[in-house]
Amino acid sequence: MEFLDNLALGFNVALSPTTLLYCMIGVTVGMFIGVLPGIGPIATVGMLLPITFHMRPTEAIIMLAGIYYGAMYGGSITAILLKLPGTAASAVTVVEGYPMAQQGRAGPALVMTTIASFFGACVAIVIVAAFAPPLAQFALRFQSPEYFSLMMVGLIAAAVLAHGSLLKGLAMAVLGLVIGCIGQDRNTGLPRFTFDIGELYEGVQFVVVVVAMFGLAEIIHNLALGGKHEILARRVPLRDLIPSREDLRISFWPMVRGSALGAVIGILPGAGPAISSFASYALEKQLARDPSRFGKGAMEGLVAPEAANNADSQAAFIPTLTLGVPGDATTAIILAAMLIHGITPGPKITTDAPQLFWGLIASFWIGNLVLLVLNLPFIGLWVRMLSIPYRILFPCVLLFSCIGVLSLNNDAFDVYLAAAFGVAGYVFLKLGCEATPLLLGLILGPMVEENFRRSLQLSRGDPTIFLTRPISLAFILVGVFLIVLVVAPGLRRRKQAQSST
Amino acid sequence: MQKRLLNGGLLALAIGIVAGIGLASAYPTKPITLIVPFPPGGSTDIVGRVVADGLAKELGQPVVVENRGGAGGTVGTAVAAKATPDGHTLSIGTTSTHAVGPATLPKVAFDPVKNFAPITLVAETPYVLVVNNKVPAKTVAELIALVKAQPGKFNYGSAGAGSTTHLAGAMFAHAAGLKMEHIAYNGNGPATTALLSGEVQVLMGSMPAVLNQIKSGAIRVLAVGTVRRSPELPDVPTMQQAGVKGFEASLWLGVVAPAGTPDAIVKQLHAAILKAVKNPDVAKRLRAAGAEPVTSSPKEMGDQIKTNLSKYIELAKVIGIAKKK
Repeated sequence: MEFLDNLALGFNVALSPTTLLYCMIGVTVGMFIGVLPGIGPIATVGMLLPITFHMRPTEAIIMLAGIYYGAMYGGSITAILLKLPGTAASAVTVVEGYPMAQQGRAGPALVMTTIASFFGACVAIVIVAAFAPPLAQFALRFQSPEYFSLMMVGLIAAAVLAHGSLLKGLAMAVLGLVIGCIGQDRNTGLPRFTFDIGELYEGVQFVVVVVAMFGLAEIIHNLALGGKHEILARRVPLRDLIPSREDLRISFWPMVRGSALGAVIGILPGAGPAISSFASYALEKQLARDPSRFGKGAMEGLVAPEAANNADSQAAFIPTLTLGVPGDATTAIILAAMLIHGITPGPKITTDAPQLFWGLIASFWIGNLVLLVLNLPFIGLWVRMLSIPYRILFPCVLLFSCIGVLSLNNDAFDVYLAAAFGVAGYVFLKLGCEATPLLLGLILGPMVEENFRRSLQLSRGDPTIFLTRPISLAFILVGVFLIVLVVAPGLRRRKQAQSST
Repeated sequence: MQKRLLNGGLLALAIGIVAGIGLASAYPTKPITLIVPFPPGGSTDIVGRVVADGLAKELGQPVVVENRGGAGGTVGTAVAAKATPDGHTLSIGTTSTHAVGPATLPKVAFDPVKNFAPITLVAETPYVLVVNNKVPAKTVAELIALVKAQPGKFNYGSAGAGSTTHLAGAMFAHAAGLKMEHIAYNGNGPATTALLSGEVQVLMGSMPAVLNQIKSGAIRVLAVGTVRRSPELPDVPTMQQAGVKGFEASLWLGVVAPAGTPDAIVKQLHAAILKAVKNPDVAKRLRAAGAEPVTSSPKEMGDQIKTNLSKYIELAKVIGIAKKK
């Protein structure tokens, strides 16, 4: 009953005209910056922070939060249409979404990602509303050994992610790990592979690689084809925009699983939405009856990660609000905004600032509803973007990519780096090497190494630390199981081959 | 002919002077860029944005914050050092960019003293000694006794190897004669999380990163690193009061211009920033972010940079993270 009272209070706050207005501004801005490749919510929220000094705290936080989760919707649009993920979390959307667009199914793909995003967000909002404080305590049980074991499972999943040759997949994952080594070593502070270039001290930015390896490589690829890039340039009748009953049916369970996975990973302050989306993709591929469809436009592989990254970005507010610990750079700014407005996030926030806490939760739901309503009518427009002649479209895409990459750190160096990775991406495309395992290696590699070394430092060199802690042990077992799953069919086949000869 | 040339020369000279005066009195002629050499969301960024907001009102020109993060702030600071010294590009100089970074990093592309014209300090935030709630020590002396009784058992966290929190923590261990394992994290947030979860027991944390947890009672504060007590935590003793002799660790933040910026502009900026920082709204926002507003003359800030630089070069040698050239 108290829960309902709280929700009523929340909706009371969130539905007041000015709050509603700021919520709508937030999610709309968020969606559009999500569409622009590279320009992420971090820069936008940072830029808007001073404006909120002159606003009321609840409204300020609701607007900034709206930008954060709104960006998750926008990010998938260009990922599907142009193979250009707007945010790091939508990198995996490219894998199934772009092939669907090429098959003329851009409409259903966009509609389904929007629905999946809404679904994932709603699931996570319920979780945040009902269980925020106890879940935050659970998050604290994740220490370095647990993060290591969790990330290891992710890395093993990288092998599962590869579509074609396992060897090529592993090679790309290792290359990702190597690129991830660039920069200042977290544990000792010494620079590695930086060649005395100051810009490389912080490592290679993930977004640079994503934009380059997918978006830029695809542009080079299309230009190399000459005038043959005509697959997309036909009018899509409205009827084809609507997903079929079949689409909805096969999407339901993947959305449920994606939402659950995203919500769980979102609670952990050290993970991030990109990991959620990769993890749920790997899970769907494992569960699929026919994994060979993946990479060629499988609906499950599209909706699950989308549900996951939206669930993640909502659940990320749990550690932010109840522990005062930011999950990533964007929530860090939102946290700063709360402090400036005199709100102390912590376990007692639900009682100390009930208006803010419940108002924010209610605004999440309203914001997501606005995004759903805002997105669906636009889809016809977005799809029509594909009928723009490529000679006009590609310079625009190139320009926006450059602006986006530049905006990461206001540094032209990142643009040169993206150009280099773009060429490399084209070479890999020609060699038939998938970029996805590389991206996963790049995200997870530094985290695996950092947490591994830190765990051993904490145990004073005793490697059993990974096996004596229950959560860590559970992840290690999952990892072993995954390896067996991947290796076993090969072994069986070899045995059969031996026995038949 | 000659006369004409002379006239022309005089005219040009006159135009030059008038233009020069016009320029000086018209400063700022265009929006000012304030380089924040850290990514958005950190305490330097917040202080930078609060000050930029206040300064823009004083000068009547927009002050645009440009985040140029990387390598403990030294990448963005190097950019600021090379900017045109006309007062339209400023940067936030901190303990990290002008003392700890140059003292510990193998290569820094600027000279923290020679390449800058300091304008004024704007804020100071203490490093505070915080412990996990399960640590039984209630005072600094009790903590020192506890760590000495169980050598090799305690860990202290930091926001990264060679970061200011690492040096502040090492400074404490060194000054108190303690043996603790240094555990590096990827930023202030993760370091605070590790202290909350008990993965590390001790942290010399930056005030903005831990103030919130101190207030909510999630972690316990034992002392502040500044010479004076913090107005935010008036009941908490300083390290010196708690018996750690000669200990002083704070993160100061100020505004610097590239060396060669005309004195008149430095003076004008100094007056404007002072007014901005003393504005009650600005001061309130700085305090809420855990930073105490302070001001100084350009010379005082210059001296601060020099003494801190030599202090951290010395400390880096003692704890063995001196830069390798």
